[in-house]
Amino acid sequence: MLFSGIGFLFRFLPAFMLIYLIVPAKFRNFVLLAGSLIFYGVGEPYFVLLLVFSVLINFCLNRYMFWEPRSPQQNRAKKRKRRKKIALCTSLVIDFGMLFVFKYWDFAAQTVNGLAGREITPILALTLPLGISFYTFQMVSYQVDCYRGTTKEPVGFVSFAAYVSMFPQLIAGPIVRYEEVADKMVSRKIGIRNLENGLKLFTVGLGLKVLLANQIGTLWNTIMSAGAGNLHITVAWLGAAAYSFQIYFDFWGYSVMAMGLGKMLGFRLPRNFNDPYVSRSISEFWRRWHITLGSWFREYVYIPMGGSRKGRFRTVCNLFIVWALTGLWHGADWNFVLWGLLFFVILTVEKNTYGKRLERTRVLGHIYTLLLIPITWVVFGISDMGQLTAYLGNMFGLHSTVALVGVQHFTRYLKEYWVLLIACFLFITPFPAQLYRKYRDRWFSVVVLLLIFWFSVHEIMVGSNNPFLYFRF
Amino acid sequence: MKNEKKRRKIKRHNARKHTVKKQKVGALGEVLYNCPYLIAVVVTSLAVMVCSDKIGIRAIAKDAETIVRQTMGNSVSVDEIPIDVASEPVSENGNVLENTGENNLEEMENAGERKEENDDIEGEDELENDGDALESAENTEETVVGVTKYEIYEPQEIDSYYYSDAGKVALTTEYPYTKENDSYFNDAVFLGDSRTLGISDYAGLDEADFYCDSGMMLFKLLAPEGVTYQKTGNKEDLTQVLQQKQYGKVYIMLGMNELGYGNTEMYLEQYRKVVDQIREWQPDAIIYIMANLHVSRAKNNPETEFNNININDKNAASASLANGIDIFYLDANPLFTDEEGYLNADWTFDGVHLYAQHYDVWREFLLEHAVEPKE
Repeated sequence: MLFSGIGFLFRFLPAFMLIYLIVPAKFRNFVLLAGSLIFYGVGEPYFVLLLVFSVLINFCLNRYMFWEPRSPQQNRAKKRKRRKKIALCTSLVIDFGMLFVFKYWDFAAQTVNGLAGREITPILALTLPLGISFYTFQMVSYQVDCYRGTTKEPVGFVSFAAYVSMFPQLIAGPIVRYEEVADKMVSRKIGIRNLENGLKLFTVGLGLKVLLANQIGTLWNTIMSAGAGNLHITVAWLGAAAYSFQIYFDFWGYSVMAMGLGKMLGFRLPRNFNDPYVSRSISEFWRRWHITLGSWFREYVYIPMGGSRKGRFRTVCNLFIVWALTGLWHGADWNFVLWGLLFFVILTVEKNTYGKRLERTRVLGHIYTLLLIPITWVVFGISDMGQLTAYLGNMFGLHSTVALVGVQHFTRYLKEYWVLLIACFLFITPFPAQLYRKYRDRWFSVVVLLLIFWFSVHEIMVGSNNPFLYFRF
Repeated sequence: MKNEKKRRKIKRHNARKHTVKKQKVGALGEVLYNCPYLIAVVVTSLAVMVCSDKIGIRAIAKDAETIVRQTMGNSVSVDEIPIDVASEPVSENGNVLENTGENNLEEMENAGERKEENDDIEGEDELENDGDALESAENTEETVVGVTKYEIYEPQEIDSYYYSDAGKVALTTEYPYTKENDSYFNDAVFLGDSRTLGISDYAGLDEADFYCDSGMMLFKLLAPEGVTYQKTGNKEDLTQVLQQKQYGKVYIMLGMNELGYGNTEMYLEQYRKVVDQIREWQPDAIIYIMANLHVSRAKNNPETEFNNININDKNAASASLANGIDIFYLDANPLFTDEEGYLNADWTFDGVHLYAQHYDVWREFLLEHAVEPKE
């Protein structure tokens, strides 16, 4: 089910909220779990079983991690440690194993077959279960936290299952660590203010997604439809800008909707974006973009491998691994690996040379970021290597013949999209959020938000162009 | 001592009662004061759900009916379901369709079995009567000028409101076409959706007039909101344009945006209306009905209505309007599709639109399929 779909907005959400508010507080986790499974099951009637299975296995392993035999034993501490290790390793193998089979098998098989020159591993052609990358990471974070002792008490089954499958963040994050919602999992108050502000936040996210991302997305699609090889340098940059806007407002909108829903349910979900496009360097960009994923990789991959404490060479190695994995996490294709490694290169260079100086500049840093980011998104957006190299070539004016999509098309696109482009530029700055915080409780904001809500609903009804970019991950 | 305690307790109790009452009155006001937006959304939503056919109670009833029908396994006539022709198009959200991957397999098998045969039946009758069409097709063998033939195959069962499997693919109308040069388009007008926009942008037919928009539909073509005239970028009302200027050739390609809007019968009816209307305004023009291009394998989705079977269904319907005299059906699909009928994946980014460089082929196709205007 999509947040920006009629089925969610006018069927699931009202029905769920009614039940959720009516039942006594101690049943709320159960209602949340049941509702989330329905939410997931409507779109994925078979993979919901995989989700349930995954939750069950992880819960059992987690219980084993905390299990203590009654009878007195020798080497108690040592044995406990061993149990913990076994439980953690098993859960890691199962979780990442499932992720690998469903997401990376075909990619790996194709690579192996390509290297061997014949088919030695079969292609499975499995569909990717919705949100598997997100819920796998979430469960792994919980298991590791329990192993490390950051989380000291085991949780009950319903709480654990509700934490993993909670529908606001199940499909596209944010990746929540158990610690962040632990106390709310036990008891949470849902005041009328929570409902009000949560709904407002949700509306803002819906507007970002439907009124900005979907609309500007058609420009990128139009330009790509003409073929990457045919683009004049101006059109190539316009397309890259459009795609950068689309991917940001799409994912940011989704995260804001998730936060709003979380608030309505009585949670406080972590913030995923902090105005990434106004960064002064790419390092800063990654501190502000998809924050929960970045901190997951830092917490569970980078730091355990030694982080930056083991000398310059090890640091570079660690960065390489983290960024290759970050790229792969976004998709099982070479362009995603390339995309991750592009960041590895940029970040390593920044870290060792001009990064700090750039962040102190006023204008230069912004220009630098705004020029580099669209290039990285183009790598992200085009899986076909021929198209990708053609597109990048055109961005740098390396076109040998006269472009079929030339300057006259560029001016026409500008004429058609200039209002939207200005709106997008405004919304990558922090000002709209500041305005929202300042005037959120004034009466006219009710009118504005109501307009956004119904205009979005109208757009959903009219257009069929309503995908979530960050959906199949 | 005891009494005093009791008294104090009662006193406290009364006091509490009092404040509770006070809070209750205040609470309602406070709720109203605290969540104006929540209330506004709930109230407007309720109003919309009562009024709207698309998201309201009626839509829920319709969804429920679909689900019940599917679980019961019998196919109740879908004609009973009301659909508002004049309103906005329905997106995919509105309808739940159950169509498993098996169909996909079947479809591929069918594609292999496809045999080319003739079929000279006209009109909409054959739409419902695939068996008859198959039989009569086998009987006809001669090539007759002006006839629109069909490639027949075994249709599959489709449980959809929007389309059925016609069991045939319409082919370009048989005719001794002549090859013309670019000046043929000097008095031509193209009416269409985003694909026609592509022709306008990249085929280099600078002389022809293009009236097209992304998302254009037959149902919106002659509406007063107008269609964008590509030479100026302004929306113009086609009812005015087509009455004022006489064209020698009218090319129409519409149907992609009708895939999930109304069923094929309604599509044909609307197509007939549009063609009749244009015929009235443009008595001497040759009308070309162009086949909607197929989509790529990646875009083809049997679980929704966005697939090539539906496109073929719509195309076959529109082809039945060709008369081989002044209305012709042109199918450019063979130029761009693979042997299974999917749009060539290397020639498209989104699985729907061709890359700019392939429109030259399309122009050549149109030039090679030219009909001399009648005297």
